[in-house]
Amino acid sequence: MKERYFSTFELILMALFSALIVVAKISLKLPLQLPGHSGIFWMALIIVAAGVVPKRGAASLVGVTSGLIAAFLGMGDLGALNTFLSYTMLGVGTELSLWLLQNPENIGAAVLTGIIGHISKLVVKWSLGTLTGAPVGFLALGLARSILGYVIFGALGGLLGSLTLAALRKAGFFAYLAEKR
Amino acid sequence: MSQKTRLLIAVAIILVIAGSLLGVEAFLRQKQTIEDAEGELTLSPGSIPIYVNGKLAYGFNPEDLADLGKISFVDAEEGKTQEGWALRDILRLYIAPENLEAETRITVSSSSRDRSVQLTWAEVDDPENWVLFDLSGRGTLKLVSTLEGFDTRDDWVQDTDKIEITTP
Repeated sequence: MKERYFSTFELILMALFSALIVVAKISLKLPLQLPGHSGIFWMALIIVAAGVVPKRGAASLVGVTSGLIAAFLGMGDLGALNTFLSYTMLGVGTELSLWLLQNPENIGAAVLTGIIGHISKLVVKWSLGTLTGAPVGFLALGLARSILGYVIFGALGGLLGSLTLAALRKAGFFAYLAEKR
Repeated sequence: MSQKTRLLIAVAIILVIAGSLLGVEAFLRQKQTIEDAEGELTLSPGSIPIYVNGKLAYGFNPEDLADLGKISFVDAEEGKTQEGWALRDILRLYIAPENLEAETRITVSSSSRDRSVQLTWAEVDDPENWVLFDLSGRGTLKLVSTLEGFDTRDDWVQDTDKIEITTP
């Protein structure tokens, strides 16, 4: 019998991470009035997911699944399609970045992956807004401020994800996972 | 390929994405101009036009915000802080007080989202209603409030691009 690409255990792990992303988005609030600040939790979780299930497609699948959950829960200010595509592209951006940078446990790679994944979400939101004829930013530097916010919080999320993966490895979690697979 | 090269490529990708977004935004900003019917009033890019009784009268500019203080409230729906500039303070900058009676109708709309809300000056002027413009992640204005019937995300007007005043 042909072996499946993702084991059932890995699929369950990815589903848990997808749900965690949505739960984090709903319940964890930082008292910051800066665009993209939720990226700290978001990128940390998706990078840990990509480290725990180190296969091509894992981050994208987590992005798609969390996007479906968030869209069905009616999250986001701009409609279900916007929510679904934003979450999905965050996963796909992370995936493509990890394809280049490879190891999410490397701090530099994780930080840059966090930035690329998170900024992918901004690209989707901005593109959909522009395609639907939304006005240009009210403040001349409004978009620059958003980009800066997404870069900073994406980087912090990547760093947090990398440190979490290192802590999990130290605690023997990956040896435990190897047995389960 | 060494890890250093990979990291440099990733940094270059980030710079290209950020530069592309800013470049296209700057191009769109240059293209956007709003004029009144007689061509006497031209609004600067990004400005929100204010129509009084159907006639383009003013443009709400980012520079005007320097004179206004911000207010904020925490929305009941998601517990997020909505922070920005009160609509009443913005309107007072442009509209003479005698034109702002309790029954004056104020319509805030977004053509891209095909959404609008009509409020009276009495509702806008009541500080308890927290009718304010919050800056969205894309840098556009979103009209939010705690006013009954206009207190959830489904009601709020994202990407606002027009304010209309109709005097009684």
